[in-house]
Amino acid sequence: MTDYQATNAASSGISVPKKNLKALMRRSDKPGLIWLAQWAAFLLITGYGVYLSIGTVWHWPAMFLYGIFLTVPSYALSHECAHGSAFRTRGLNEALLWISSLLYYEEPNHRRFAHARHHTYTWIEGKDAQMPFATPMNFKGWLLEITGWALYVYETRLFIRNALGKFDAEVLDYTPASELGKLKWGARICLAVYASLFGMALAGIMWPLWFVIIPRLLGAPVMLLFTLIQHVEMQENDVNICKSTRSFTSNWLGRFLYMNMNFHIEHHLYPMVPFHQLENLNAEIKDQIPQPDPGFIRTNLEVLQVVWRRSMGGSTRAASIRQAPHMINTPDLQEMS
Amino acid sequence: MTDWVLACATDDIDEEDLIRFDHEDKTYAIYNTDNGFFATAGYCTHEVQHLEDGLVIGNVIECPLHQGRFEISSGKALSAPVCEDLVSYPVKVEGDQIYIQIV
Repeated sequence: MTDYQATNAASSGISVPKKNLKALMRRSDKPGLIWLAQWAAFLLITGYGVYLSIGTVWHWPAMFLYGIFLTVPSYALSHECAHGSAFRTRGLNEALLWISSLLYYEEPNHRRFAHARHHTYTWIEGKDAQMPFATPMNFKGWLLEITGWALYVYETRLFIRNALGKFDAEVLDYTPASELGKLKWGARICLAVYASLFGMALAGIMWPLWFVIIPRLLGAPVMLLFTLIQHVEMQENDVNICKSTRSFTSNWLGRFLYMNMNFHIEHHLYPMVPFHQLENLNAEIKDQIPQPDPGFIRTNLEVLQVVWRRSMGGSTRAASIRQAPHMINTPDLQEMS
Repeated sequence: MTDWVLACATDDIDEEDLIRFDHEDKTYAIYNTDNGFFATAGYCTHEVQHLEDGLVIGNVIECPLHQGRFEISSGKALSAPVCEDLVSYPVKVEGDQIYIQIV
């Protein structure tokens, strides 16, 4: 029936009793609305800090802090709404998909189709539509990724081409022909919104700069450090999610900002399980999957060490995080042998 | 030429759930909803993924891979990423047995 195998629990040899899975998949508005209220509270508090700091030396640090709370949850909410699992009410999902994707900087319809393809072919080169960097990663690749430069170049080009109706071959491959019009008009609406924000700033109306544009740019590296460690240093071209994907431990703040996507193996195995049930899914399958890597900061520090040493020609063996075997190069040991 | 084929027993499917049914070289999804039993093609029309592990919410089946949604009773595609309707099949219940009509 198929000439390929979708990357998920079945392809990874993981199973959950159907009754238990049904309970985990159940949709609800309540957890998403609570999360949304908490996000609004964080934005109000840190945004008030931005307001108070205008004209002082604290303005940029305040925008950075506010930017983290603006940018990381925007990415996470856009992702969850693209899955349609953030809320039981579809209209709420769709409205927040638009708002959060605008903040994240991706056209919402494209976000949904490209991410669907990412789940079909997770970390399969040439097929995964969200495999943004060359792998194995070197330091230059890390810089391009973490600064947001790679994202801005890729998405800006895509916004313009899609708005003109000149779709890339890969976009045509993962988007049904009947939906291309939505991509085109979605891109036009997004560009109009972005142009309005920049136009207001140019006209001397500063709130878009202080509360949207600059915080979004400042918060991007933190968001991208979260997304980087989902798959970096893991195995490409393997249908086993446990080999291609990384979960990592996190404190409550990281889990809030990232909507529990630190349970990333769990998410890829069962993408229909909503964010608020991922911890329970982990409890259900933890004996079948690898241990999570040791935290957001430590995992990122080890990744940075590895990509730096790779660029310098040194050993690329990480201290503790999981790596695909071919990512590990130990030149000193090779010379000794 | 159409055939009524015995698919399963009524108590084989939990309430608000579905099971997979394979017959000859085709595969189907048989649903138990508040509105009765229904049958559709087994694979999602978006990318090839069987619906058997999908989520039934009322009269809607959600694909387990990309969360595309179909109306169970008609097979109608409801929301992206699915755009193409599922083929649906007539169902009849005789005693505690479920039959589907296969063209």
